[in-house]
Amino acid sequence: MDITPYPKLFLANDLNEALRALRELADSAIPLAGATWVMRAPLRCETADQTLIDLSRIEALRTINIDQQRAVIGALATHEQIANALNGYNDLAALAQAAGHSANPAIRRMATIGGNICTAEFAAADLVPALLALDARLEFEGLDGSRTQTMAAFLDGRATRAHTDLVTRLIIPRTQRMSTHARLTLRKAGDYPVANLSVSIALDASGKISAATVAAGAVEAVAKRWTGFEEAIIGHAPSPEKMQMIAKTCLEEFDGRDAADAPGWYRLRVLPGLAADAFSTLQETTLGRAM
Amino acid sequence: MTITLTVNREERIFSGDPRTPLVDVLRDHLRMTGTKAVCREGFCGACMVHVDGAPMASCLLPVGSLDGAAVNTIEGVATREHLNAVQQAFEDHDVVQCGMCFPGMVMTMSRFFQTNTSPDRDEIKAAMTGNICRCTGYERIIDALMSIRTNEATP
Ligand code: FES
Ligand code: FES
Repeated sequence: MDITPYPKLFLANDLNEALRALRELADSAIPLAGATWVMRAPLRCETADQTLIDLSRIEALRTINIDQQRAVIGALATHEQIANALNGYNDLAALAQAAGHSANPAIRRMATIGGNICTAEFAAADLVPALLALDARLEFEGLDGSRTQTMAAFLDGRATRAHTDLVTRLIIPRTQRMSTHARLTLRKAGDYPVANLSVSIALDASGKISAATVAAGAVEAVAKRWTGFEEAIIGHAPSPEKMQMIAKTCLEEFDGRDAADAPGWYRLRVLPGLAADAFSTLQETTLGRAM
Repeated sequence: MTITLTVNREERIFSGDPRTPLVDVLRDHLRMTGTKAVCREGFCGACMVHVDGAPMASCLLPVGSLDGAAVNTIEGVATREHLNAVQQAFEDHDVVQCGMCFPGMVMTMSRFFQTNTSPDRDEIKAAMTGNICRCTGYERIIDALMSIRTNEATP
């Protein structure tokens, strides 16, 4: 295999060029999206001399299209772009808020949704629980064809995934639901969350919760659905106090992650409060109008 | 790999490792040390520059990705005789202490005031989220920035 034509940073002009480079360079290369994680490798004492396959010139991966059936988000759409494009859609609000409040304005301008979900080491990603709660599917393109996968299945295999194909688009079904995202940081702003929570619910005619999808991030190494809580809140009015009480009884399905920013027990302790925060945001915004 | 950038309206060539962060190219190769490398992880904002007009953390930008881009640094925002509005407000309100954070703040907020000429205090704070100061208490910085808004509102 001759890899000499590739410089240490290869600017791919289209998806095919990127995929060919990925195949030829195999483990000696990694895809580069917004660069916000990869460029910090030296700080994590990772000194691998890998070639960066820069995807940033592939304009087709930046587009966002929203119609009545689905929202389709290119893998290179930035957090800033997503927060702006999804603003005002009640069902997509969890993702809009997650994108609009993560990190800080400069990072939101650079960091992409594809990079956010593909970085297995980043436990505190805000977009991942939002995509789980909104039932997103991922679309991949490879030299041998395309495929799709649910967010949950992708997360299951993410840490050991071979880069034989690239995430190209996220597809979110449009619904009549309302959603929101809550996060707790140790500093007031600009920090990674010690826990985050995305909630998507439907109400029945009497204002009780008839369907719920809830996902928590940063609590464990990988974000996941909070299924016990989802089931327990069905049939209840979505009051923040009630939701907090129910959340306290549903914590056993988590095994809190110990890390430098917070111990595992703390992440569990704050989850019920985050549930209350999420439902009070819903009450102040969409629910307030719907009830 | 040779990379061509326009830095403060002058064409510059870089031919080292294309993965080098822009901040290191500016400081070590072009000797433009106004841009600071502090956290190197996108949190502090001291390395902020404008790339094609948008404030970006230059510690996280591999220079090879920027071939053909226009980069503006703190050295290019004004002249010594005529500071820009943000620099002037910081000086007038005497808010600078060690000064490490200020080039980045100037870059962030100069662009912000182009997009929002009459922000309220909360909007200014939100825009400043990615610019950390280890010395000051922020409130005077915000006061200084609020004065720009007031000045612009007053003909
Ligand atoms: S040095 Fe770039 S953000 Fe701190
Ligand atoms: S004045 Fe010293 S870091 Fe801000």
